Amino acid sequence: MTAPLQERTTELEPVAHSSFGSVPPPTKTDSWTAIKAVVRRDITAIARSKAITLPMIMVPTLLLVILPLVVGLAARMRTSGIGDLLADFPPELVDPIVSRPPEEQLLLLVNGYLLAPLFLIVPLMVSAVIAADAFAGEKERRTLESLLHLPVSDRDLYVGKLLSAYLPALAVSWIGFLAFSLVANAVGWPVMHRIFVPTPLWLIMILWVAPAVAGLGLGIMVRVSARSNSTQEANQLGGAVILPLIFVVVGQATGLLLVGPKLAFLVGCVVWVVALWLNIRGAKRFTRDRMAAQA
Amino acid sequence: MDRALETSELSRTFGEKPAVDGLTMYAERGEVLALLGPNGAGKTTTVRLLNGVLAPTAGSSDVLGFDPSTQGDELRRHTGVLTENAGLDDRLTARENLELAALMRGFSADIARARVTELLRHFGMLDAAEFQTQGFSTGQRKRIALARALLHDPEVLFLDEPTSGLDPKGTRDVVDLIGWLAREQGRTIVLCTHFLGEADRLADRLAFLDRGRPRAFGRPADLARELWPGLGAEIDLGRPADTAEAATIKTVTGITSVTPTDFGATVTIEHRSQLPELHRALVEAAVDVFGVTPKPPTLEDLYFALEQRITADPDFTLLASPAAAGEEPAGAGEEPAGAGEDPAERLTVRP
Repeated sequence: MTAPLQERTTELEPVAHSSFGSVPPPTKTDSWTAIKAVVRRDITAIARSKAITLPMIMVPTLLLVILPLVVGLAARMRTSGIGDLLADFPPELVDPIVSRPPEEQLLLLVNGYLLAPLFLIVPLMVSAVIAADAFAGEKERRTLESLLHLPVSDRDLYVGKLLSAYLPALAVSWIGFLAFSLVANAVGWPVMHRIFVPTPLWLIMILWVAPAVAGLGLGIMVRVSARSNSTQEANQLGGAVILPLIFVVVGQATGLLLVGPKLAFLVGCVVWVVALWLNIRGAKRFTRDRMAAQA
Repeated sequence: MDRALETSELSRTFGEKPAVDGLTMYAERGEVLALLGPNGAGKTTTVRLLNGVLAPTAGSSDVLGFDPSTQGDELRRHTGVLTENAGLDDRLTARENLELAALMRGFSADIARARVTELLRHFGMLDAAEFQTQGFSTGQRKRIALARALLHDPEVLFLDEPTSGLDPKGTRDVVDLIGWLAREQGRTIVLCTHFLGEADRLADRLAFLDRGRPRAFGRPADLARELWPGLGAEIDLGRPADTAEAATIKTVTGITSVTPTDFGATVTIEHRSQLPELHRALVEAAVDVFGVTPKPPTLEDLYFALEQRITADPDFTLLASPAAAGEEPAGAGEEPAGAGEDPAERLTVRP
């Protein structure tokens, strides 16, 4: 039973609350400060999430450490050439390989060329996994609303979310590539007697194409995430509908990339244009009103 | 006093469905405005509109001089929000949840750390500061979330179900804190709650929403006076009043109804000042009277009466303005509610 309205005293009984101390007045956060804070928050949380960190560690380890290690060990036991294997490859790729001694050919083919397209899966996968969590994860954990009530502009929030996925994708890719280079050269040293990775093609893939591919995955998955109610839903939508399309595009592109560094660079330019278009369009269309309406 | 927030015909629809439909209300600085209503009434949407998280489809609002729909980022620097769900990221520690929010509010790392420590200590959570919030009790989560809402000492606080899930002591502490923030610190508080006791204790004004439509707005006592023009009173005779006693009661000036009860009778009287006369009349008739007690309606009575009226009349709306200065309303205490306010804001009732 509540107290009678007319008899209710307007003064509450004294409560022993101390002052909360001197608080600096609300500061006007510049965009970069706000974006950094969003990125810091998300990356701190991502680092604690096994569902996100496990694939981020396992896939690159498999592709960039175990695979070149196994290939390197196999190549060390092979003394004959691989001319028969190269029958279907374009001459531009075959010529520099068959010109090398037979024992070097398998190592060169696999670690120098064939793993390059596979490597692109790493930035794509990492950016997609984190981006899927960007907004859908917030909805699922019911943290989105408290985030929307903070004085961070729509654009800064979106950019922060993009960078929270993009920076780890680049970091994992580059660290993975560093590990790959070490493993490939170490295991190939008895055969090659020189450092043969990175090739010019690898450098273009790492420094130019991989960041673009990460951006492409991001541009799609952040928008999928913003429309999904759970990370699982975002991943399913991304995995079932969108990622295969990207794989097709990337697969075709990287098939072309085998031709040579110049074309790889051009394909990278195209991926960059598409990725930037997707991300800029996404940022323009993103509003907290739309997010709150779904929260 | 000046107004901390004000809305005019504020509306928001989702698709075809109106979530808030023509809300007009205000709160002055230092007041607690309670948003009441059943689930789905539009309380949370109202908070989102007032804090610039949602844009209105019609109408306007002003919070601390900012237009939330165009100056949301600026406004949110001056407001704090406790969402119904605490909204903590369970992968982060209690301290991280607060410090990262502080950084997003523009605090430097050093100041954020000091401020968070201060608030964690205040809310008795310093010992749990370095633990991930996963596994925290509802009460602990609420306290962390409340600390987050208070990080920047906001001028306006939006509190959505601040005591749900709290134990009695936690509830009392939070209610005390809200009262202290409003009365002592001059903070304006918008309180969404289903707990009528809490609203009763804290609310200076209330807005009653039903399926997005504002059905009542005003000071609780003013609204009650509109619904029940007279004052209820209980007469304790130690037994049911008989016919002769009921007749005696009816002779008293201002009595509008008499209902016998197991312990005497309940009456409705026009004015509180007529109660002594009622007592005298019974004593003079040689009736043993154990007590005559005014029983003004509670906020709970008001809430359910509003619900009942709305059910009976789908268009029922009650907008109460305080009584004019100097006019002592029936059943009011020593201080007439709304004294000093604009007489032009006299109560209006519209169908």
